[in-house]
Amino acid sequence: MDKVKSLGELPRAIEPARDLWPQIEARIRASQADAAPAADAGEGVGPAALPSRGARRFMAQPWLAAAAMVASVALGVWIGRDLLSGPRAPPVAARAGATVAAAPGGAQANPAVLDAPTALDAAFVSDPRFERQRAALLQSLQAKIAALPPASRARVLFSLETIRKAKEDLEAALGKDPGNALLQELLINTYQDEMRVLTDVHTAGDTGRGI
Amino acid sequence: MTHAEPQESRVDWEGALVQRARSGDTRAFERLYREHAGRVHGLCLRMTRDAALAEDCTQETFVNAWRALARFETRSSLSTWLHRIAVNVALAKRRKNRDVEQVVESPDEDAPAAEWILETPMEVQDIEIAIGELPEGARDALVLHALYGYSHEEAARMLGIAEGTCKAQLHRARRLLRDRLDLEVA
Repeated sequence: MDKVKSLGELPRAIEPARDLWPQIEARIRASQADAAPAADAGEGVGPAALPSRGARRFMAQPWLAAAAMVASVALGVWIGRDLLSGPRAPPVAARAGATVAAAPGGAQANPAVLDAPTALDAAFVSDPRFERQRAALLQSLQAKIAALPPASRARVLFSLETIRKAKEDLEAALGKDPGNALLQELLINTYQDEMRVLTDVHTAGDTGRGI
Repeated sequence: MTHAEPQESRVDWEGALVQRARSGDTRAFERLYREHAGRVHGLCLRMTRDAALAEDCTQETFVNAWRALARFETRSSLSTWLHRIAVNVALAKRRKNRDVEQVVESPDEDAPAAEWILETPMEVQDIEIAIGELPEGARDALVLHALYGYSHEEAARMLGIAEGTCKAQLHRARRLLRDRLDLEVA
C-alpha cells in the first residue's frame, strides 16, 4: 500500500466504482426532451435546448451537416483513448470493432495519404511541436502497422481511413464556409484523434497492446 | 523517435470540447466527463463519506454542468468550475439530511500553512480514514485547501462561508489530525 508524507500527496482523483456516464447521459437526454417544447417557446434549458443562430445555419445546410456527421463517426471510432482509459470506460477496441462490423467496405485504407498535409493543416495545427511529432510518427507508421496483429491492424486502418475521410469532408466544407467555427472545431478534434491513433500505434508494439 | 505529448494537446482541445458540448454534442461532453470524473468523484466522496451519495453527487454535478455550460467562461478552469458545482451539490445533499453545523469565526488566528506534512510517512488509507472522521466543516475546508490546493479565499467562496471561518475550520482540522496522525505543519 502507498505511503505519503503530506496531505498534498494524496490522490485527488478517485474513480467511481462504476461507470456513471450512462445515467448522466440518460438524464441529459431526458432534459433535452423536456426542453424541446421550451425551446420552441424560446426558453433554453440545456446547451442543445435552443441552438444558436450559427448552429441553426449550420444544421440548415446539408453538406455541413454531412461533414459533421462523418467527423462524428471518426471521433466515435477512436474516441479519446486517454480519456476513456479508466477502469470502467467502455473499451475503445470494442467500439471500433463494432463500427468496423457495421461499416461496409472494411478496412482497406492507405495510411500514406495521411502524410500529405494541406494548407488547412497549417492553419489549424500550427504548433511546430505537433507537426514534428506527427511527422515522426508518420515516418514509421507503415512498419508499425505491418507489425500489428491482424485484428488490431484492421481497427487501426479503419480508424485512419475514417479520419482521413472526415478531414477531407471537413476541409471541403470549410472551403465553402471558411469562417464556420463549428467546422473548425470538428477539424481540430479530428486532427487530435489522428494524433492519438498514431501515438497508440507507435506505443502498441507488435502485440497490439492497447488497440 | 519523438513521442507525442497527449498531456499538452489535452489542454489545447478542452476548450474545443466545451464548445462542441455547448452546441449539444453529448459525445464531446462525455469526453469531458471521462477527463474530470475522477477528481469530481474524489471530492464528492471526501465531502460525503458515503459511496452511494458520492456517486449521486458526481452524476448531479455533471448534469448541472451540462445545463449551465453556456454560462461557463472558457478562459477559466473547467476543473475548478466543476469542483464549485460539486461542492454545491454535496452541501445541498447534506443539508437535506441535517442542519449545517455552526462554527464560530476566528479571524484573528493565523491560517495554517499550505503544506501539511506528516512526521513519518503513513498509509493513504489510514490518512483517508482520519480525514473522514473529522467534523464536516473542518473536513470540507481541509479537503479543498490541503488536498485540492484551493486558497483560503477560494475554499471559503466554494463553501459559502467567510474566509475567517474557513481558516478556523482548518485550525480545527489541523488540531484534530495532529492528535491522530502526528501531523506537523511546515
